[in-house]
Amino acid sequence: MKHNHTFEAINKLPPAKNSRVLNNGLFQGLIILIILILFTFFFSALANIVWKGMAVLVQSIASPEIQFAIRLSLFTSITSTLICILFALPVAYGLERFRIPGRKLISVILDIPISLPPLVSGIALLLLFGTTEFGAVLAEHGLRFVFSVNGIILAQFFIITPYMIRVLKSTIADINPRLEFVARTLGCSQWQAFYKITLPLAKNGIIAGLVISWARAIGEFGCALMVAGATRMVTETLPVALFLNMSVGNLEMAMASATCLIVISLISLFIFEMVGVRQIPASRIS
Amino acid sequence: MINLYNVSKRLGDFRLKNINLSVNENEYFVILGPTGTGKTVILEIIAGMYQPDKGEVWINQRNVSKIFPESRNIGFVYQDYMLFPHLNVRENIIFALKLKNTPRNIMKQKLEQMASLLNIAGLLKRYPSTLSGGEQQRVALARALVTEPEVLLLDEPLSALDPRSKELLQQELKNIHEQIKTTTIHITHDFNEALLLADRMGIMQNGEIIQVGSPEEVFQKPQSQFVAEFVGMENIYSGEIMEDRGDHYVSIASVSLRVVSPLRGKVRVAIRPEDIIITREKFPSSAQNTVNARIIHIIPRGSLYKVVLDAGITITALVTRQALEELNLELGQNVWAVFKTTAVHVF
Repeated sequence: MKHNHTFEAINKLPPAKNSRVLNNGLFQGLIILIILILFTFFFSALANIVWKGMAVLVQSIASPEIQFAIRLSLFTSITSTLICILFALPVAYGLERFRIPGRKLISVILDIPISLPPLVSGIALLLLFGTTEFGAVLAEHGLRFVFSVNGIILAQFFIITPYMIRVLKSTIADINPRLEFVARTLGCSQWQAFYKITLPLAKNGIIAGLVISWARAIGEFGCALMVAGATRMVTETLPVALFLNMSVGNLEMAMASATCLIVISLISLFIFEMVGVRQIPASRIS
Repeated sequence: MINLYNVSKRLGDFRLKNINLSVNENEYFVILGPTGTGKTVILEIIAGMYQPDKGEVWINQRNVSKIFPESRNIGFVYQDYMLFPHLNVRENIIFALKLKNTPRNIMKQKLEQMASLLNIAGLLKRYPSTLSGGEQQRVALARALVTEPEVLLLDEPLSALDPRSKELLQQELKNIHEQIKTTTIHITHDFNEALLLADRMGIMQNGEIIQVGSPEEVFQKPQSQFVAEFVGMENIYSGEIMEDRGDHYVSIASVSLRVVSPLRGKVRVAIRPEDIIITREKFPSSAQNTVNARIIHIIPRGSLYKVVLDAGITITALVTRQALEELNLELGQNVWAVFKTTAVHVF
């Protein structure tokens, strides 16, 4: 018993990591300086555009073109995000929980769009849907993707799905499969165990995945540009509006689009941080 | 009643080898073995988390080998509780009842019954993450028992608890089993737990069940060195059995002990430390083995003292503090170690 007490006493000593005395002033100062430089750089870049855009923001946002771009951006990004989760959830669950042969390879291939330049993803989609029999058959049945709003949704879906799968996979990996198993011994079918246990426990991860994917979808430019083109008032999402207005020198309209996109990013980042912090405890594999 | 017939399972590097096991109706069966010997896998096979590679699982005369876990009517309790973290205690307990659309009044009645059986009535509105280990385990037990399972499977249910809660819950498990008599398999690595709870027990080593019997049988007659060491036999020797005028002796180094055993030739010998009596003088008794020895260590061990003797072989005996003082035992003294013929286990 005596030994135990001694060990406890040692464990209770305060950790030394925050004691200022031991820090080298120069070293610490340098690190803080670097943090400040980076922060100032990022902050001023964003603040500048918002500050300058503010003056004409209301007026620009009221213009039919930006109104159209906002509506199209919201419509396409929400649609693509919803379609994305329909695929990403079962895929993430399957790759995490089942011993699917070749699942490592499948994971890698599904991850490729993350590292691929969006333009390359765009040309790949354009060729698949624009030049093959497959694309032709779809077009005949009314699903035309090339140079259409459908193409924007397709492009966004292609770009964001790997992110969503990643977030959901790590969420599901954090939920002990034995919880589902216990639920089954209590009478749940596999379906019920999934939607009564895993799904509610994955709620925060799903919200985080939705928000981050949606934010990416709304900002998607390169891939959508290749598939759907950049036609004023037709396939003109917010990033396309920014691009088109910039290229004709209409700085106010460009800044209005940019400000909208910055605000959307801030909101989604905020939501992401909120749900990310409030993880449900005790669901982790110990 | 649970029967396993020739159950084998391979999981990565781990193998469960040809398990044959039969647990009787209403029996409290304990599987005892060190960590990592596949005890949990046996339970998970019975419950249906894994299908065995070979062999069959029968529960109450029903072959359940290919039946989904939800149709096996099993209660399962894990070492780390596995309470649903998004549900409060009440919702955890009635989870199974709700699934079966149990009428409200019956649900309420069963909930109250479980809450009082496990003494958790005050916790019903709390969430699992706010409960202590002992409380969580009570809730997990309530959640499993409320379905009135045919068999209850407990996977090291007390191993994560502090000693006080552990002792309390051990006793409660015993009481609960006396009340509801559900056929139970309880897994543990703690021999004392097994001794207290088990009607019968099985000892596991490297994916195999190597001995099955009542705790007394296993305790008194370990069939292998592994079992002997695991259940706390400290005096284990190699020896050879000799015959002398109809009596049998086992000679270990220079010491010769009288034994009763059908075995002949080279054997292993085990003597429980608590079966050895220490005396200052040699006196006649019914104990047939008397060995002269010198005290080389006296080590306090809980309320008892471990006295290590040198008699050509090292013999460990357990004595109480009182005995130690009354006999005035000291290091270097010459004493007599006395034990019965039946205390010498050979295998």
